[in-house]
Amino acid sequence: MAAPDELFCWEGDWGLPSVSTDCLVVLAYAQFAGAPLKLRKISNPWRSPSGSLPALRTNQKETLSRPSDIIIHLRKQKYNADYDLSAKEGADSLAFISLMEEKLMPALIYTFWIEPKNYVDVTRRWYAEHMPFPLNFFLPGRMQRRQLEKLQLLRGDESLEAGEELEKELYRDAAECMNLLSQRLGSHKFFFGDSPSSLDAYVFGHLAPILKSKLPNGKLQQCLKSLDNLTNFCTNILLLYFPRDNRGKPEGGDFDHVPNKRRKQILSALVALGAMLSYALLTGMVSIQHVQQEAPKMSVRVLGVEILTS
Amino acid sequence: MSLAADAFVSQLAAAEPWPENATLYQPLKEDQILLSDCASSLAVQAYLRMCGLPVEVVCRVNAEYMSPSGKIPFIHVGNQVVSELGPIVQFTKAKGHSLSDGLDDVQRAEMKAYMELVNNMLLTAELYVQWCDDATAAEISRPRYSSPYSWPLSNILAYQKQWEVRRKMNAIGWGGKTLEQVYEDVSQCCQALSQRLGTQPYFFNKQPTELDALVFGHLFTILTTRLTSSELAERIKSYSNLLSFCRRIEQSYFEDKSS
Repeated sequence: MAAPDELFCWEGDWGLPSVSTDCLVVLAYAQFAGAPLKLRKISNPWRSPSGSLPALRTNQKETLSRPSDIIIHLRKQKYNADYDLSAKEGADSLAFISLMEEKLMPALIYTFWIEPKNYVDVTRRWYAEHMPFPLNFFLPGRMQRRQLEKLQLLRGDESLEAGEELEKELYRDAAECMNLLSQRLGSHKFFFGDSPSSLDAYVFGHLAPILKSKLPNGKLQQCLKSLDNLTNFCTNILLLYFPRDNRGKPEGGDFDHVPNKRRKQILSALVALGAMLSYALLTGMVSIQHVQQEAPKMSVRVLGVEILTS
Repeated sequence: MSLAADAFVSQLAAAEPWPENATLYQPLKEDQILLSDCASSLAVQAYLRMCGLPVEVVCRVNAEYMSPSGKIPFIHVGNQVVSELGPIVQFTKAKGHSLSDGLDDVQRAEMKAYMELVNNMLLTAELYVQWCDDATAAEISRPRYSSPYSWPLSNILAYQKQWEVRRKMNAIGWGGKTLEQVYEDVSQCCQALSQRLGTQPYFFNKQPTELDALVFGHLFTILTTRLTSSELAERIKSYSNLLSFCRRIEQSYFEDKSS
């Protein structure tokens, strides 16, 4: 058997295997299709082969970035979660995926990256805490600018900015999309039959972050929680396919969980010590002089008083 | 359209019946209009004909700039201006004309999903072929887009539009696709539409809806437009039920014009 393909994706949090929608889609599909992938959960996109996450490095050293490309690749390797779908169901899948990309994704981008409170309190904080030094200073800002640009281009409006009117419009479209998905799902366990397919992966990838993240401005979450069948759908998939990641964190735990805490504490203490020492040396509070006498002595000048030490 | 403007327009719209002098604006048909705009315009015309609402098609050089959202086509009805198929459907609904009233909830969900499929895949593919394929952009898109203007404005506008579309393609992840992959996506989309249509006359059996208008607009335009390569049209021609669907709608709603 050939070595399994390597999948690089964002780390998880809030009880999810990954915080990014695209990564969740790929992870869910891989679980549904039973594809053996070597998972590399990282929080540094520069370490991924394509510079962005998710990224799949195949046996032939090819790198795929788009979730749709990765799913097509897995399908070619005979890991096909859509095997049992009829042609019409396959067509419906494609249609509903397009619906989510047009109506739900802009709202997702807005709620995580553009809405000021959410971005500052949750998204930027999460990425800054999880990324290594020195990326955590500039990369979240850069990611935010890219997401804003993407939203502007999607809406065809170059002067788009965070605002209540835009928020209402996007959330209205998202609510309509979620209602339509809920109507299509009905009371079934999955969208088509008893086993999940790629549409289930896409829906899970888009809805799970909304459901599980704790955002200050949670309008989208309220809307989703009012649709019971979609909520159950997401929790069901988490229970069945991602049992290890489904350990919920205690309420206040999120803000205290800083990775590499001990290392950061020691590093900060060393930096502080070094700063104080260099300040003392530079201002002359403490200076080291060589005093030339028969027996070489060293005198240490402390606060202007010379103390002779031999 | 924003929420407040939406509610306001709906109220105004409901107040007056459809006037006789409604006009639809689009760029010049012979020289200027491009594939994607022509498709969108034809979709709106088909929809209005299906509703039985009379509209006059007027060609203007600066139609794109007159439009409230910057997109073609837009209609001028009474003292309101509405652009793009989605808002136009809502506008006519407020006036009491709707094609999708007879659908139940699940069917309506499917209809909206398939309309987004066409917008997401077919329209984006059309834009890609027009502006991101160098041969087509140089031979057809740029000359046509800038034909009403004189140098140097023509160059500036054409390249600006091309740059804008390419940026959008990069943002949505189509920037890295090859032409072959785009044709594959179009095939997939057509296959999905063909599966959904099956042997029925329209997508939701007996009556046409806005989905039929949208699909007709795009497919008919692709089939009848000459591009540098006929690959796009060939991909559609391989689905015979889509071809007969286009012919049926053309005969039912557009033939009276020529006869």
